[in-house]
Amino acid sequence: MNISTDPWVWIAAILTLAVFSFLYRENPFYRFAEHLFVGVSNGYAITFTWHRILVPYLLNPVGHGQKLWLIPIAIVGALYFTRFIPKVSWMVRFPIAIVLGYSAGASIPRSIAATVIEQLKATIITRASFADVQQGIWAVIILIGVICTITYFFFSTERKGALKPVSYVGVIFIMVGFGASFGYTVMARISLFIGRLQFLLGDWLGLIR
Amino acid sequence: MTAPDAVRNGFWDRLQRIDRRWIYLVIWLVVMIPLLLPFSIKPKAMPPVEKLFNYIDTMPEDKALVISVDYTPDTQAELHPMAIALLRHAFATHRRVGVLATAVYGLGLGEEALRQVAAEFNEKAVSHEDSVISGEDYVFWGWSTPFLTVMLGMGEKITNVFPVDYYGVATESLPITPRIKNYNDIGIVMSIAGSSTPLSWVTYAQTQFGVRIGCGTTAVSAADYYTYLNSGQFTGMLAGMRGAAEYEQLLEDKLTAAGSSLALRYKATEAMSSQTAAHIAIIVFIIFGNIGYFVTRRRKS
Repeated sequence: MNISTDPWVWIAAILTLAVFSFLYRENPFYRFAEHLFVGVSNGYAITFTWHRILVPYLLNPVGHGQKLWLIPIAIVGALYFTRFIPKVSWMVRFPIAIVLGYSAGASIPRSIAATVIEQLKATIITRASFADVQQGIWAVIILIGVICTITYFFFSTERKGALKPVSYVGVIFIMVGFGASFGYTVMARISLFIGRLQFLLGDWLGLIR
Repeated sequence: MTAPDAVRNGFWDRLQRIDRRWIYLVIWLVVMIPLLLPFSIKPKAMPPVEKLFNYIDTMPEDKALVISVDYTPDTQAELHPMAIALLRHAFATHRRVGVLATAVYGLGLGEEALRQVAAEFNEKAVSHEDSVISGEDYVFWGWSTPFLTVMLGMGEKITNVFPVDYYGVATESLPITPRIKNYNDIGIVMSIAGSSTPLSWVTYAQTQFGVRIGCGTTAVSAADYYTYLNSGQFTGMLAGMRGAAEYEQLLEDKLTAAGSSLALRYKATEAMSSQTAAHIAIIVFIIFGNIGYFVTRRRKS
């Protein structure tokens, strides 16, 4: 056993145990760790944004009389703070409108291309899909899955006739998808726990190399 | 009801009402014991991991590997081993590397990964060529915001997006900069994230500039990303800690075959015995839970 002498490791270990104590029941140690985390995270983000973004990209150049065109942009950005002054709080809409307009304009065409067009292309079966038999079988299964799942989400018409069995197959695909997601979720949560135990048993207590 | 029936039903009833803390305790033990007394598991790489490894291994020498540290400390256990394994692979094959972060909380992790892996290589270096030097062999651009501007801007000129690197050095002055100007010089961008950032890389960087994107993701998100793997939008994918372990194994196999094994810790691979034991325990829980549910439901009906 080779216990760490690094005070930061001890702080991290104690905070980890404080968070794990929630598994037993809600308690002040857990709440302390939770609040500390929120405070430190926000403090870190604010400090970093100030030192790494605002100072080098705005305050320093403007302070030296360079890039003066940044001043009106900074003023528009500062309008976010009008949120705290009820009389002029409507002015917050200016920066929000600019950000929304820019983001929507930049996102919509590219998102359609990346998440709709390319995904549709991937479901199209061509002769090349059967270059490998196994790959061809999967391509057919994917096509069936896509059609049946989309059919299940036809809410504008009653599920009867041919629509009923097709949408039923869609439900099966959805359930298989949920099962895969659940399995992966279990794996993810266990991995996170392993990571903490590797830290507690290794870095802190020195029980594992 | 006969006496054995009463005993059996009593058992299933108690199982249905078991205090969840007993389950936590069992999981704790099941995960902890294999960490203390590990049993050997050699992860076998799945096609998405193998594809990614082979692409990075064989991509043109003049192309750089870019790692986007899009994860934060809450997913460190799953994703950090991926960054470490990718850096080791890149440095072992003398690739140029650029690292950036789209999440401010990921900066420290990116820096730590670079520092650790660079030190591992520099300890064994016998010449300048073997060394891994900041600004020459790799660059840590740091963080800029918003990510949309970063992803689009890097297609034009990276130094416009990152005028200074993480350490405050002007990127124009770095020897590596003329060799990584924009996406044309990048073989693949590996987005390691516990969020949907890999999709943003596909949407902005790939759709606009055609750069290859690889994905390292938490297991929770993996099921959602297989469609992008199937469509070829992701060159490869590392899913969760297991994905990291598979990549570590491929790297170790390659280096051992070349007689240059790194003989280093592979944290994800070390965790696989615990992961396996925990999965077996969860499967047993699910089976028992379902049997208990059906037995008690039948009796009630």
